[in-house]
Amino acid sequence: MNKRAPIFNQAGLFYLMGVLGVVFMWPACTKKYDQINTPRNTIATIGQSQLPFLYAQAQAIAIPWSGNYQGAQNQYADQYAQYFAVTATYFPSDRLVIVPYDLNTLFDPMYSVFVPQLQTIFAETDPGSAEYALADILWVVGFHRLTDYFGPVPYSQAGLPAKSVPYDAQDKIYDDFFKRLTTAVAVLNNKQAETPFGSFDAVYSGNVPMWIKFANSLRLRLALRISKVDPVRAKAEAEAAVAAGVLAVSPDDDAYVHRSGTGSDVNGLSLMSDWNEFRMSASMESVLKGYDDPRMPVYFLPADETGTYEGMRNGLTPAQLTDDLNKNEANSHVGARWSSTSFGGVTTYLSTPQILMCSAESYFLRAEGALLNWNMGGTAKELYEQGITNSMIQYGITDQAAIDNYLNTTSLPIAPQDYLNSPPVTDVPVKFDAGDAGVQLKQIILQKWLSLFPDGAEAWADYRRSRAIPFYPVANSDNPDLDDPSVQWIRRATYLVSERLNNTAAVENAEALLGGPDKITTPLWWDKN
Amino acid sequence: MSCNFNPLNRGQLIFFLFSLQAVLIVFPATTFAETPSTNKPANYSAVAISIDVKGRITDQQGQALEGITVSVKGSARATSTNADGIFVLNRVDENATLVVTGVSIYSIEIPVNRRVQIDVVVQTRSAEQTEVVVTALGITRRSKTLVYATQTVKPSELTEVRDANNVLNSFQGKIANATISQGSGGVGSGARIVMRGNRSIQGSSNALIVVDGVPFNNSTTSSAGSDFGSIQSSDGASNINPDDIASVTVLRGASAAALYGSQAGNGVIIITTKKGIKDKVSVTLNSGVVTESPFALPDFQNSYGQGNSGILDASSGESWGEKLNGQSYVNYLGKQSVYSAEPDNVRDFFRKGLSLNNSLAISGGTEKAQTYFSYTNNVMQGIIPANNLTRHTVNLRVSNQITSRLSTDVKITYINQIIRNRPRTGEENAPVLDIYQIPRNVSLNDAKLYDTIDNIGLPRPVSFPSTLNSIYQNPYWMINRTSINEGRDRLIGFLSAKYKLTDWLNITARANLDRTRTNVQNSMSEGTKIFTKAGFGGEYIEQNVVLTDQWYDAILQGNNTITKDVKVNYNVGFIFQDRKFDARSISAGGLNIPNNFSLSFAQSAIPSADFTQVQTQSGFAQVNLSYKDAVFIDGSVRNDWDSRLPGSHSYLYSSLGLSVVLSDLTKLPAAVSFLKTSINYAEVGNGGQFGLLNSVYAYESGGTGAGYLSRSATLPIAGLKPEIVKNFEVGAEARFIDDRIGFTATYYNSNSFNQLLLVSLPVGTGYVNQYINAGNIQNRGFELVVTGSPLRTTNFNWDLSLNFALNRNKVVALSEDVKVFYLGGSRAATPKVEEGKQYGDLSSLTWQKDTKGNYVVDADGKPLLTTEEEYLGNFNPKETIGFTNTFTYKKASLRILLDGRIGGTIVSGTEMNLAFSGITKATENYREGNWSLGGVDADGAAVNKTITSQDFWQVASGKRAGAGSFFAYDATSFRVREVSLGYALIEKNTSFIKTLRLSLVARNLLWLYRGSSQMDIPGLGKRKMWFDPDMSLGNGNYQGIEYGTMPSTRSFGLNLQAIF
Repeated sequence: MNKRAPIFNQAGLFYLMGVLGVVFMWPACTKKYDQINTPRNTIATIGQSQLPFLYAQAQAIAIPWSGNYQGAQNQYADQYAQYFAVTATYFPSDRLVIVPYDLNTLFDPMYSVFVPQLQTIFAETDPGSAEYALADILWVVGFHRLTDYFGPVPYSQAGLPAKSVPYDAQDKIYDDFFKRLTTAVAVLNNKQAETPFGSFDAVYSGNVPMWIKFANSLRLRLALRISKVDPVRAKAEAEAAVAAGVLAVSPDDDAYVHRSGTGSDVNGLSLMSDWNEFRMSASMESVLKGYDDPRMPVYFLPADETGTYEGMRNGLTPAQLTDDLNKNEANSHVGARWSSTSFGGVTTYLSTPQILMCSAESYFLRAEGALLNWNMGGTAKELYEQGITNSMIQYGITDQAAIDNYLNTTSLPIAPQDYLNSPPVTDVPVKFDAGDAGVQLKQIILQKWLSLFPDGAEAWADYRRSRAIPFYPVANSDNPDLDDPSVQWIRRATYLVSERLNNTAAVENAEALLGGPDKITTPLWWDKN
Repeated sequence: MSCNFNPLNRGQLIFFLFSLQAVLIVFPATTFAETPSTNKPANYSAVAISIDVKGRITDQQGQALEGITVSVKGSARATSTNADGIFVLNRVDENATLVVTGVSIYSIEIPVNRRVQIDVVVQTRSAEQTEVVVTALGITRRSKTLVYATQTVKPSELTEVRDANNVLNSFQGKIANATISQGSGGVGSGARIVMRGNRSIQGSSNALIVVDGVPFNNSTTSSAGSDFGSIQSSDGASNINPDDIASVTVLRGASAAALYGSQAGNGVIIITTKKGIKDKVSVTLNSGVVTESPFALPDFQNSYGQGNSGILDASSGESWGEKLNGQSYVNYLGKQSVYSAEPDNVRDFFRKGLSLNNSLAISGGTEKAQTYFSYTNNVMQGIIPANNLTRHTVNLRVSNQITSRLSTDVKITYINQIIRNRPRTGEENAPVLDIYQIPRNVSLNDAKLYDTIDNIGLPRPVSFPSTLNSIYQNPYWMINRTSINEGRDRLIGFLSAKYKLTDWLNITARANLDRTRTNVQNSMSEGTKIFTKAGFGGEYIEQNVVLTDQWYDAILQGNNTITKDVKVNYNVGFIFQDRKFDARSISAGGLNIPNNFSLSFAQSAIPSADFTQVQTQSGFAQVNLSYKDAVFIDGSVRNDWDSRLPGSHSYLYSSLGLSVVLSDLTKLPAAVSFLKTSINYAEVGNGGQFGLLNSVYAYESGGTGAGYLSRSATLPIAGLKPEIVKNFEVGAEARFIDDRIGFTATYYNSNSFNQLLLVSLPVGTGYVNQYINAGNIQNRGFELVVTGSPLRTTNFNWDLSLNFALNRNKVVALSEDVKVFYLGGSRAATPKVEEGKQYGDLSSLTWQKDTKGNYVVDADGKPLLTTEEEYLGNFNPKETIGFTNTFTYKKASLRILLDGRIGGTIVSGTEMNLAFSGITKATENYREGNWSLGGVDADGAAVNKTITSQDFWQVASGKRAGAGSFFAYDATSFRVREVSLGYALIEKNTSFIKTLRLSLVARNLLWLYRGSSQMDIPGLGKRKMWFDPDMSLGNGNYQGIEYGTMPSTRSFGLNLQAIF
């Protein structure tokens, strides 16, 4: 550069100042930024027309679905209820080990998927509306299953932003259940002609009279659940429920969550049956075979090797599982409606509806109530036999002669001739005992267990509450908190590792509410055995 | 500029691309028109005879040197060498003297002596002194004016010993303080490059890659976030063609990167691609072939076969059976067979990888127009059978000097890449973990019978002994009956124009477009575990992802001489950037015509769409003041407006630095040829993530109604703040004894604030997690690069380059409420970020010890595990070292790169998983029992019980999850990373072929040292690390756990380069 030239010539200076001005007074065009930053494939605000979608979501997740089913139910409740035994050597859950994070698939969706949708419905609808009432009933469906696994769980403060969410005592939770069900039925009684949520309701398509019966039946179920811990309230709730009308006619009244069979909207038991990791339990074999139960070919498939129905004991060790008698091929897989064609099942197995509650159960609940001298609108025997009959009809067994034959059978459960040479699991026949209330209770609970299949969650709760089925002790316990399975049994699931990490103080307080250490042997509030 | 400046819509994009092409088509026509004749008759004069002189300038290694000035002494005549080192000077006095000068070499004078061909070998200054470097936004700066550390990598080091998967892998060992992890997705897999430690918890710690001045979209659409695994897709960097690279500058610190804004806090790799060179038409052909084989496989036991508890069971996937003694038995296929070991049934599963690289580059031009054209073809076959890649890269660049004031530069690059049969990574039904599960007595020939055709003509999986029925499958089924194919078209183009406003001020405007369309087709025959359902005809998923990056900038550049000693140089500009991600995916939901993989046969197609867009606008200014060309003050300021942020969307950050070249300022002892110190401070901001400000409801189809809506389980962050990295750096650069030896030393301290963290919430709140802005993550460290030429003789030269770095990380603060953050779900070990600790600490369940340090066992003598996770180590290396030695003898050269890492813990989930099933070598002893662990009970009393190997390993591992401490390794390792032996077969400027160079290359040749397992197990001791710590499950922040990662490979290759 020529030394005598000015440092900045005029034109250059003009440009420079101009650009500097633009840069530092940049009129940033941010008008559209909020729009740009909004995801287009989601809904930002919920209006009335979106509420059915939320309800459908809450309903779909209220009982474990799809990929959650194995961790949330099959490896735990279904085995504790001795419907199935594990054949896979790598799963210790049948030996009463609770694998960290398995039960997150039960617990987490309840709060992250179930609660938010229902709470949005509660916020966006009138408490006097049918929609609000249906959401209330569903709330109880979901939460009673959860609290019956663990005992105290986050409840009254659930769904509120906080650093820690307290757990509530189970008696408080149950109290709220009864209130919600009673209120919901009162509301629905005035809305009988409406069809809340319409086709989005995958259970009754918005049929209000059906929902009233369902809510009453659920109230009856919960009343029996507290029959030992609070007999007075149990009686009052049960009698009120029966008087208001419960599920009575199978299959019309039976409540199922229907699954479309596509994507993840599938029956979870069916989905996991493909994985070939469980088989019929010896308890099931002993009873079904002993009674020559017509439901046996519905519930199970014949074993590949023998063509007969075979089960195995719960809690076998990996070494025991290598024995030929304990192989998948030597035992019965779950029935055709839950099994794919590769096991001899049906092509529609993934869309098999999932049982919520059926008429048979309400009869067995009433039968048990009758034994307690509650006014259940019938004698224990009548209701017991109605329960069996409805269960048969539910599974397509409509031949009255066959049903009558079954009702009068005096055959007893047999020894399953399994790997451990087990004796018969119990000694009661189907034919209702003439006078011994103890035997009658066993019969009612046993038949209820058969009718609840494959809903292990309810069956396990029933077992713990009643202790009326002498299940086989698990063959081995690998859980150090339960060292003698002959006198101890699993009474609850322990709290989650994730809750101990993220909600530490609340879990510690929960142990006080539980009334015992956070172990599988600590009984729940309603478990008085 | 008005608010109507919107990014291009689709129609405009097409127009943009067409105009790019038009420019490319029109200008090349003029490119070669004015090629000067170099053989004009000499103009004889009476006094002196003039001749035309040609020549070639090379360095000691025979590498051609570009841009070297050759002038005639005592006259103003000068020229400079082209890319091949060639210069031409016409009509030179036959007795004149030529002066060869250049910033990277020592000047030399050569008498012409009536020669017409003068080839000159010059002494280059050491590598670190390649004085001109390309810095932010493509601005070229003299390295001595910089106030921060830079490092350059020679393109030849990337092209000779290449890792054809991803050019990033070739940087391994060559950049100080860079940790490079190779992705696990087979050929063309994404890779991870982290400089100066991890600093981002939720976002990326990956260095920013800049190509020709514009940030390069290096996103990865799918990577494993947990050890369950996933599909590891290609990243953007795998599309960079090393043959087109002209220079690489690495800016390690944030200071260097202040002008790039977002993401530059992780350091920047600046790649400049080749341009045409005037006066010379040259053609370069490069052809290479590389073969690969697995370098690190698990150690297997070969003494016991299928079964459990010592009992032979041919249907079991586990290898806890009888001793393999050649017994005859009925195998799982029902065939009479011999029960003996198949020691190579894993190694033989892998095939020989092969990659071919062929490229052609043509470059040429005139004073007014230069063109560079290249075509590269890559064909690779991976070590997993059927995993192949084909890549075509076409590149055309035209530079024009239109008037004396206006010049333009236009480039278009088209990449077409097809990857077939990409293997899944991680645990779930990935071929690598599937083959590792093979029982020790099952032969590959039997395993190859993976399917039978059923009565309706469909393939059905043959029952295969599995260690986990629901997840693992015969790997041959995965390879042959499933496929993940990826096709990618990528078009990158820019138009830039530079106008000289005055002799001290110019303006450059640039428009850059980068558009990648990736199509992934995922087919699974019916019978594929996890991913298909029986009776649904198989599954097919098709995904289309379109990434569109637009970048527009205008930069005013000026320089003025204020006084004789004080000069100023400045850049002012603005940038508009828009990045769109548009993905559509359709799952067939079963196929009506089984195993026919097209959406036409979809049973119940489930579509989904995902779209994100981020727009930023930035204004910046940067000033460099110099005094006596020896003291430099550098400052920058930048403001960003970012669509991801709430409210004003605006934030500002700046940098300031000083450097002093002492050797130019004062007289130093003769031995010191160069001495510079620098100091600087810089901040870099990052706008966060798309769409975090509000709660949203996601839709899913299904149910009896019209589908489901569910609220996002992540609590939104309405007051999102930008992340800020604050970086302080001091450095010194010195060279001695005529630059025979030199070093660059840098100390840095960087703190990352306002990290965007996704932290867990108690799920009872209705939310699984929430975003918070919090934290202060500190990385402090030291980097040393030493370069030298210990020997320099006429025929023999020895050059070395050593880089050493240490990084110390500290999580100074997270937040009030959150003291620990987990980097990903895990079952072997948990990588986390915990306040007061280091980023990437690993913890796992471990073996209980009593207060005296004795191992605690139960009443049967089996190990008792802790109920809480305990600290294992940190996944980051403490120090990294790379050491390159280059020996040149006449026309031969040998380059050896040794590198290594010191420290760091990596947990082998693979070994944990396999140990449960009695497959690994460590499970071989004590099969029959008699293993006394010498443990004590809870009260400290000795327990004199013995156990079996199965007892032990099934406590340590629960198969898919377990106590990671039993499988944790010290990842310290050193290896011979690269060896390249080159020989110049032809090196004559006069022949038709100017250069013909042959190189023999090898990568991952051998281990020099490998760390051992951390736990000293009584009766077993420690085990040598079997895996390669550089291989990672994915290229995200989830690191430190090896779980079904691809084995790294050892490769040998041959490379031939011809220049015409």
